[in-house]
Amino acid sequence: MELFKPEVAVANLGPLLAGLLITVELTFAVIVLSLPFALLVALGGMSRIAPLRWVIKGYIETIRGTPLLLQLIYIYYVLPEIGMRLSAFTAGVIGLTLNYSTYISEVYRSGIQAIGRGQHDAAAALGMTHALAMRRIILPQAIRIVIPSLGNYFISLFKDTALCSVVSIQEVVFTAQILAARSFQYFTLYTVVGVMYFAVSFPAARLVGYLERVTRRGYRRQP
Amino acid sequence: MIEIEGLHKYFGTLHVLDGIDLSVAAGEVVCIIGPSGSGKSTLLRCINHLETPETGRILIDGQRVYRDEVGGIFRAHSNRAIAAVRAQVGMVFQHFNLFPHLTVMGNIIEAPIHVLRRPKDAARRRATELLEMVGLADKATSYPEELSGGQQQRAAIARALAMDPKAILFDEVTSALDPELVAEVLAVMRRLARQGMTMLVVTHEMNFARQVASRVVFMDHGKIVEEDAPERIFCAPREQRTRDFLRTVLDR
Repeated sequence: MELFKPEVAVANLGPLLAGLLITVELTFAVIVLSLPFALLVALGGMSRIAPLRWVIKGYIETIRGTPLLLQLIYIYYVLPEIGMRLSAFTAGVIGLTLNYSTYISEVYRSGIQAIGRGQHDAAAALGMTHALAMRRIILPQAIRIVIPSLGNYFISLFKDTALCSVVSIQEVVFTAQILAARSFQYFTLYTVVGVMYFAVSFPAARLVGYLERVTRRGYRRQP
Repeated sequence: MIEIEGLHKYFGTLHVLDGIDLSVAAGEVVCIIGPSGSGKSTLLRCINHLETPETGRILIDGQRVYRDEVGGIFRAHSNRAIAAVRAQVGMVFQHFNLFPHLTVMGNIIEAPIHVLRRPKDAARRRATELLEMVGLADKATSYPEELSGGQQQRAAIARALAMDPKAILFDEVTSALDPELVAEVLAVMRRLARQGMTMLVVTHEMNFARQVASRVVFMDHGKIVEEDAPERIFCAPREQRTRDFLRTVLDR
């Protein structure tokens, strides 16, 4: 008896690719939202206003101290009980964004703190306010430093979207579950899903490696 | 132009500035010399409020800057007001502190455009003139990393000049340079001094102080020990501590 059946794979490729598209959409939605949101979290966490810092700290600790799977379930199944009914996709995007933003904010923070005192001094000595120095001098350098780390988090995010199958988002794993429940072709279907994840993650990881080499080269004129 | 009265500054229990009084007139070049740890750099950093002294006051053009004192209690000026004063006082640092993500041109026009709100083309024209003056006309599109230390420091001087400052503070600007690159930076500073720029220069370059300064200030342990014309400080110092210091640095 052969385990992998090419004809089953081909027959189910359409729905699985549709699922993969949802996975990719989910990933991009969370990337687009968490990049700015995490920056606000990072800046708020370093604010001179103590109550703001406490709120941010509380949020970060809560998210980090609980599983992502539970957070997704909570947003989709528990919030409706207090009158917040969200579509599955929205719930997934919000859950993943809240979760990943805590980690990405720490990446931003480490990047900002990596910029030396001298840059702050030089900006201040030129009459820049703190906000202007942040925007024009500190953040452009910090963001460049953290691009490779961000890339790695986003690859990990791409794979974590599989958890959204529990809130019935028709992403690729959920799609495979439905197809397998009907046909019992577990081996073939889940193997195809694995190959699909790998086919996206692997080139993405190579791209991050390339970005790492580019950012390490420093600032120079294009040859 | 710059008046400093009764400045005291502590780092923890260390009394880095112990009652500094100093005034600098427009067009003067005041060189501050002294052993390391004597408070020279801290004094300079207090003048543009990169350090906050515990007590004392600083006046620029007769105006109290950075904070007011009401009944012995200091009330800091707004961040915007502090930034506005800093924009009028240039500073050049030991480690250049150029912005690595901007080209030399970008470094020079950044603050004129975003702080002084000058039009971009006017800022560029002025930057080109300044680069010409510091001998870096061909480096406008280079990034700081591509330049030698001496070139970076000259670019940093051009960056300070682009703000048309009333005075410039030089904080050991040749100390991080290879010996053969020191002269090109000092040459630019001599030229500025001749053009009448008001300069406060913390330096270990005794020849520069002797030849260029209108006045030399000797500091030790957070105090001004002696201040006088350069020929008097270098040839006939009144204080024993000045003599001891000069002997150690000039006998090298």
